[in-house]
Formats: sequence, C-alpha cells, structure tokens
Amino acid sequence: MAVVTLRSGINPQRVRLALIGIVLLLAWSVVAWRLVQVQIVMGPEVAERGLQQRLVSNPLPPQRGKIFDRNGDLLAMTVESESLFAVPGQVEEPLWVAQQFGTLLGVDPDVLYERLTSEKDFVYIKRQVDADVADELLALKVRGVYSRPEPTRAYPAGDVASHVVGFVDIDGVGQEGLEIIYENGLRGIPGSELYERDKDNIPIPQGMSNIVPAVPGVDLNTTLDLPLQYQAQQSCLAMVETAQAEACWVVVLEVETGAVLAMTGAPSFDPETRSASDGSPFSNFNVRGIYEPGSTQKLITVAAALETGAVQVGTIFPDIADVLELREGACEFDDDDIHGCYRDFDEHETMDMTVADIFVQSSNVGTINVAEVLGQDRMVEYIHAFGLGAPTGIDFGAEATGMLNFAAGCETCWASGAIGYSVAVSPLQMAAAYAAIGNDGIWTTPHIVSSTVDAQGSTEVAGIETRYVVSPETAALMRELLAGVVERGTGQNGQVDGYRVGGKTGTANKLGEDGRYMEATRASFVGMAPIDDPKVVVAVVIDGPSHEYRTGGASAAPVFAEVMEHALHRLGVTPDGLE
Amino acid sequence: MSARPQKAAQPEGGLRVLRGRKLRRPAIAPWMIMALVGVTAFLGLVFARTSLDNSAFELAELNRAIAEQVEINGDLNIDIASLENPARIAPLAEEMGLVIPEKTHQILVDLDRNAPQVVQASQEGTQ
Repeated sequence: MAVVTLRSGINPQRVRLALIGIVLLLAWSVVAWRLVQVQIVMGPEVAERGLQQRLVSNPLPPQRGKIFDRNGDLLAMTVESESLFAVPGQVEEPLWVAQQFGTLLGVDPDVLYERLTSEKDFVYIKRQVDADVADELLALKVRGVYSRPEPTRAYPAGDVASHVVGFVDIDGVGQEGLEIIYENGLRGIPGSELYERDKDNIPIPQGMSNIVPAVPGVDLNTTLDLPLQYQAQQSCLAMVETAQAEACWVVVLEVETGAVLAMTGAPSFDPETRSASDGSPFSNFNVRGIYEPGSTQKLITVAAALETGAVQVGTIFPDIADVLELREGACEFDDDDIHGCYRDFDEHETMDMTVADIFVQSSNVGTINVAEVLGQDRMVEYIHAFGLGAPTGIDFGAEATGMLNFAAGCETCWASGAIGYSVAVSPLQMAAAYAAIGNDGIWTTPHIVSSTVDAQGSTEVAGIETRYVVSPETAALMRELLAGVVERGTGQNGQVDGYRVGGKTGTANKLGEDGRYMEATRASFVGMAPIDDPKVVVAVVIDGPSHEYRTGGASAAPVFAEVMEHALHRLGVTPDGLE
Repeated sequence: MSARPQKAAQPEGGLRVLRGRKLRRPAIAPWMIMALVGVTAFLGLVFARTSLDNSAFELAELNRAIAEQVEINGDLNIDIASLENPARIAPLAEEMGLVIPEKTHQILVDLDRNAPQVVQASQEGTQ
C-alpha cells in the first residue's frame, strides 16, 4: 500500500488520527471533568440530595396504656384497626362505591357519595374499621380506595365501668373519666424512625437508620371490682325501672383504704360508641353531681354533738313534737317563701326522745334540737371535718365541692343544715364521711387508681391522705346508732342476710327551677357492714323515684342491701349476724 | 588505525556456561498470596455483606411477624376480656338456670373440734 505524503512531508492519515485522538481526549476530558465535578466538587451535596430522597421519617405512635380492675381484668386497651380512605379523583364509580361501602360499613351512602365526589384529595370512608372487614372490602380492588392502620380503643367491659373509665375521642385522646384524668401518663411518648428506602418503599438493609422507640403509656391498676361494679349497675337499673326513677347512683368504698370498689349509675353509656341509650350525659354524678342529702346528714350532726360532749346517746330531749316552727307563721301557710317550718316525715304524738331514738327514727325536729345544743359553729366545723364543702381529692378530676349555705343573717340555715338541707354534697363525699365512722373516726381520701405501671414494670402507688375526724369511741357509738336504724328504724330494707348492717336513710325534696321544693325527691341510703368492724361502705342515691318509692328506705335501701351483700361476698367477709 | 585482536573462535551450538550471572526466577509467590488474600477478603466482604443483608431482611420479617402476633395477641386479650365480662356471663348463667339460691346455709366451724359442726343452717336468703 502506498503511503501518500504531502509535499511538506506531513502524513494526512496521521493528522486525522491525531485529530480523532485529540477529539477523544477532549471528550474524555469533559467526561473526566464532569466526573470530578460530580464526584468531588459536588459530591457531598449530591450525596446528601440522594440520601434525602431515600430517607423517610415516620412518627412511631406510642401504645396507649391499659386500664385494669383490681383483679387484673381488662377495662380498656388499644388495638390496631384499619381506616378506609379514598382519593376522590381516582374513584371511577362513586355512586356504586358509596352504596356498597356505605351499606357494609354502616355509613350513610348519601354522605359517602358526597365525600367521594368532593374536590378534596383525601376523604375518609370510615375510620377504625375491624381489620377483617377492611380486608374484605379492599379485596374488591376498587380504584382510589385505600386503607391505613390506625389504633382504636376497646372497652371489653362495655358500659359496666364506663362512668369511671370514660372514653377517648376518634384520635385516641382522653375525653372523660380516667382516660382524661390520666391522659398524660396513658398516652405515652411518641418515637420516630428514620431509614433509607428503595424505590419500592422497602427499607434498605444496612442503610442509614435511626429509630427512637416510642415509650408506651403507663398501665392503670384500678381499685374497681368488675363483678361488683356489674352487680351495682344491675341493681341500679332494676330500681330505676321499678321505681320509675330518673337515675340511680352507687358508690362502694373499702372502709380502711378508701379504695373505690364500685362506682356506677343508671342510665349508663357505651364508651366505644360514646352514646347513651337515652341521650343522658356522660358525667359521673357520684363525683361531679351534688344533691341535698336529707337525713343521711344527721350522722354528722349527731356525731359532732357526741364528740363535743354536747349530748350523750341517752340524753333525753323532752316534748319532741312532729312539727317545729322556727319562724313565726312559717307553719301556718304552705308557702315555701317562708322558711322555718320543719316536720317529721311521719306524724307522731309529742314525746320524750333520747338522742338514739331521734337518730333511729330520723326525727327532723329532734335532730334540730340536738343541733341547737351543739351550736352552728361547731356543727359547721364538723361538716368541714367530715369533708363536705370541699373536694375529697379523689383521682377523678372536675370533682364537685358541694355547697354549704350558712350565710350570715340566715336564721334557719343551721336547722336546715342539721337535717340535710341548705347543704349539697356528692354521693362520694357522703360515702367518705360514713367511711370515716366505719374506720374508727379516720377520714381517708377515696381513690380509684391503686397504682400505675410503666413499661419497665416500675410501679407508682397512689398516695392516700388520712385524718382524724372523731374519736374511735364516738365512731363506735355512731355505728351502733346506724345499726339501730337498720334493725328497728327507717332503714330495715337495708338488712343483709348474715351480717349486722348499719346505715341511714335520706329523703330530700328536689329543688325546682323556680327555687321551690317539688314533690319529687332524691332518696338515699348510706351504710356499712359488718357493723362491728366495717369493711365496706355503700352509698345509694335514687333520683326522682315514683311516690311509692319516694323515701330512702323504700327505694335506696333495697339497692344498698343487694350491693352490700355482693360486696361482702366478693371480699370474703365472715358473716357476723348469725342468730 | 590499530589492529584489534581477533576474537577466539566460539564453539558453534551446544551448551555454554555463562559466568558471573545467576538465574533469577520472578518472585510471584508473595503476589499470589497477596492476590489470594485480596480476592478472599473481597469475597468474604461480599459474603458478609450479603449475609448481613439477608439477616436484615429476616430481622425485618421477624419484626413484622412479631408486630402481627402482638396485634393478634391484643385482639385475643380483648376477646378474653369481652368473654369474661359479667354483663355477658350473667344473662347466660340465668338462661342456664343458675340463680342465687333462695336459701343460704351458713356454717360456723368450731376450731376446738375435729370436724366442722353446723351451728345454723337454712337461713332465708335475700332472693
């Protein structure tokens, strides 16, 4: 092959080769430069951008604490469920989806159709659906319909403990009862997870990962006894039906510790659906409601008189009539505007009565005579000492303080206060006052939560405050008087088979909206057993029973007896009332 | 120009001895060892990485399985608690004829005696 050589001696093939070489060199140089630029100059920035694309951060919601009764039975727990949602723009047949899903999920199809045809990018179909139901619906593979896991609160005891346990809202935040009182502890501390994911959203093994685990909420161990709680609720429901009453409330306290063994009422509500069958409020009247206690207040009046030495049990008050007129003309006209006329519930002849007779027969006139000897100042002092007019300090929150109406210038308030008018208390306050008598004169803070247990298993025990109210001797005397009420007085329906029981009936007319007393009453009974060494106090309030059941002895005492019997059996208390 | 001495005639063909030069083989053994170590290390690294990835996947699977089992356990706990709810049991017990006895028998045990003695029985019950 001949080699062409220019006249100048330059070989053109070599020139072309050199040019190609130069071009390739330049091209490689550009590539190399870009490589250097990307890998070295922009390296850290690009690496960071890539990492940010791969990194995903998710919050780790904490497990909400559980709530148990005193036997370890579950009252509230959080479980996983599925929330179904839709992207309206992707749903091809919104009418069909609304009808099918609405029917199966119990959602109004019209409302669902409206949601599915809205302009929004995200709408819930239904939140917190059972996982099996959600899987069934997702199996239909409807375009635009998705699900995501979401915790939901379950209350396996249903409405039995709903007034105490309360409930959470759809987002799992406490709204009522222990759920809101212990919200800070129950909800726990959220964690977070940071990890690298691939294009399919799967975590890259050995990739960057930083997990801050969520701290679960504390578990609450309550003092409630679920079977007793159920029995108390059933007794209440039965009496509400029998007596055509508006409501019934029961508190059961352990005398020595102040532990609330049961606290319930009727009507009740379902904490999962957050609805009451009759639309009644969720509030726990036992703690947050107040009522005029009527004759159950006489325990405090007589105990104060005995403790201060103003009277003895056998002190005789002569000529006790069944009517007492403290203001002239008060008893002449049946006019509520003129206060100062006091009558005993049953008419009787004027007679001499001992303090014991007055208490056992629940004489209003006699008790006012005792209060007169005691004096208003000392009576009010003991009313405070027994915990009325102030929150008990129970771990429930928004507790009613009650009302004590002893305004200066009120001529008859002391007399009204002595027999349970002009004062308003909560059922819990009255139960705690009676528990002090049962506990040899020591008043103890009622409490519902016995301990809180965190994830490490460490336990925090609830603090209990105690104080002396009356001497053990006075308390023992009062217990005998209470036994007399049940054995031969107004509270005979409160007797419990096999046990000596003590208690006091109370019947107070309800105040109308116009400030006048109505015919309707609030009937109550507070008592304890066994009377020689009380273990349990039960307070029952029946709101608005029919005329036949208008007294505490007729409506509240039978409920008391049923609940007390079950409480004593549940606690394994030895019978002391065998003849 | 001076005359150079004529070289001695060399024998043609055959072996000859070269003096002053040693036969040196290339030292490939260290290189082989280094290469072997390098390859082994590389393969080991790949194997370790793969094993770790497998383990990570298995761990993730196990975590998922644990989460599922915890969820199932939670549901079962709820089921147990629901089944133990007195509100469910009491009506069933009533349907089955289990009622609170109308008569209760209370027995006092005299600890001074060997055998329990019925002090009182057949007391009327509350229901």
